[in-house]
Amino acid sequence: MELEEVPLEVLRQRESKWLDMLNNWDKWMAKKHKKIRLRCQKGIPPSLRGRAWQYLSGGKVKLEQNAGRFDELDLSPGDPKWLDVIERDLHRQFPFHEMFVSRGGHGASPAGLQRAPPCAALTARSLLQQAFWCLVQICEKYLPGYYSEKLEAIQLDGEILFSLLHKFAPVAYKHLSKQKIDPILYMTEWFMCAFSRTLPWSSVLRVWDMFFCEGVKILFRVGLVLLKHTLGSSEKLKSCQGQYETMERLRALNPKIMQEAFLVQEVRRWLLGRSYRQHPLSNSAARLL
Amino acid sequence: MARHMFRIILLGDSTVGKSSLLRRYTEGSFIPAPCPTVGVEFYSKMMELPPGIKVKLQLWDTAGQERFRCITRSFYRNAVGVLLVFDMTNRKSFEHIIEWYHEVASIQIMEKVIFLLIGHKSDLKSDCKISTEEAEGLAASLGIGFIETSAKSNTNVDLAFETLTNTIYEALKNKEIDLQEGWDGVKVIHKRTCNPQKKRRKPQEKCQC
Repeated sequence: MELEEVPLEVLRQRESKWLDMLNNWDKWMAKKHKKIRLRCQKGIPPSLRGRAWQYLSGGKVKLEQNAGRFDELDLSPGDPKWLDVIERDLHRQFPFHEMFVSRGGHGASPAGLQRAPPCAALTARSLLQQAFWCLVQICEKYLPGYYSEKLEAIQLDGEILFSLLHKFAPVAYKHLSKQKIDPILYMTEWFMCAFSRTLPWSSVLRVWDMFFCEGVKILFRVGLVLLKHTLGSSEKLKSCQGQYETMERLRALNPKIMQEAFLVQEVRRWLLGRSYRQHPLSNSAARLL
Repeated sequence: MARHMFRIILLGDSTVGKSSLLRRYTEGSFIPAPCPTVGVEFYSKMMELPPGIKVKLQLWDTAGQERFRCITRSFYRNAVGVLLVFDMTNRKSFEHIIEWYHEVASIQIMEKVIFLLIGHKSDLKSDCKISTEEAEGLAASLGIGFIETSAKSNTNVDLAFETLTNTIYEALKNKEIDLQEGWDGVKVIHKRTCNPQKKRRKPQEKCQC
């Protein structure tokens, strides 16, 4: 997989810019949000990503407002109903332990915590806590309702994605309509896991840099880009004659279109908001603008 | 010659091994502890029944987690076959089979859905919490078949899918399953008799006049 190489000098410059932003965060948020957005699109330097995600998501503020809450929750026995669900899936959830706080790829996994020396364990524990509050923000602020009992929010966003596709990639839209492929069939995992199970890790990080800054619309844009570049021309559809072939194509996406540099460039190119003010779904799609 | 398409859905609690069963059957591979299924996934395989009848199986894998029920439920209606899967080392998953059965029965409006009960992870003999007799008893009370399988040791996996497919085919032949417009559980595709090239020639003829 080709990675986007950032020259060392550029990386150092970016780091110092990000340090300045993080150290004067409130000022930047109030006055220069556009600049923050641009810098998130360019990619947050890996050394500062963990901290930046906490600031962007508001996880940091949450943590400060709820000092001690994490330890309290950690000590409480927990609802057996949820413990059962969590324990069943915990050992087979590959990406989650290193997703929320990334320090050059070293996650804060419980296993890592046990192995680490005491001082490192202290750091790992604080990483866990930070990650927890980022997760809270994702569930409550970024993707409200996505993990609720009826999954209504996911189904609704599936319909919205599909109607946006109508304008962005009419060929793909027509094809999916004709084959009666419900959005729920391909976008559930994309959106519920915020692409962490779909894209290569370097792309996940870049998408999440933007997602933490701009919110759910990034998921829509990524979804639209992937659909357009998979089913967006009659040439591409030649090998997708049947429902199965199309589904297969969407399940095993072309690695080229998921590659970091290509994907981010395509996502940035599309200014979703502008062309959609007149859309019939504009009310429900308002949060995408 | 007609070609058939059967749509089959796998149901059962989370971690009983539905995805592993399907991966073993369609790809011949086994991964211990794969990622939990999110929503619905889709596999397919061609099968040839003994008399030279080709059947394309559309296999729908579903997330076992409770919260996905509202999504997976909409796929029951268009299935002709259902594999009810439980984990032989997990008694709860066995006890829930009856709930899964009624889930389908309450939604499926077709007269006939073919069920097959699967006791999975049969390789873990020493950990088995449900005896073959007990599982057979449940299957008999529901009037359905029962097979013990293991995706890990590749035991009876093909047999399970072949048994279900054969039973569906037999039921179809005996007109116990009736094909309705707008129902996708079974599709019979008749080979095209007209030559598409002939159609293309028409406009040319017009031009020549």
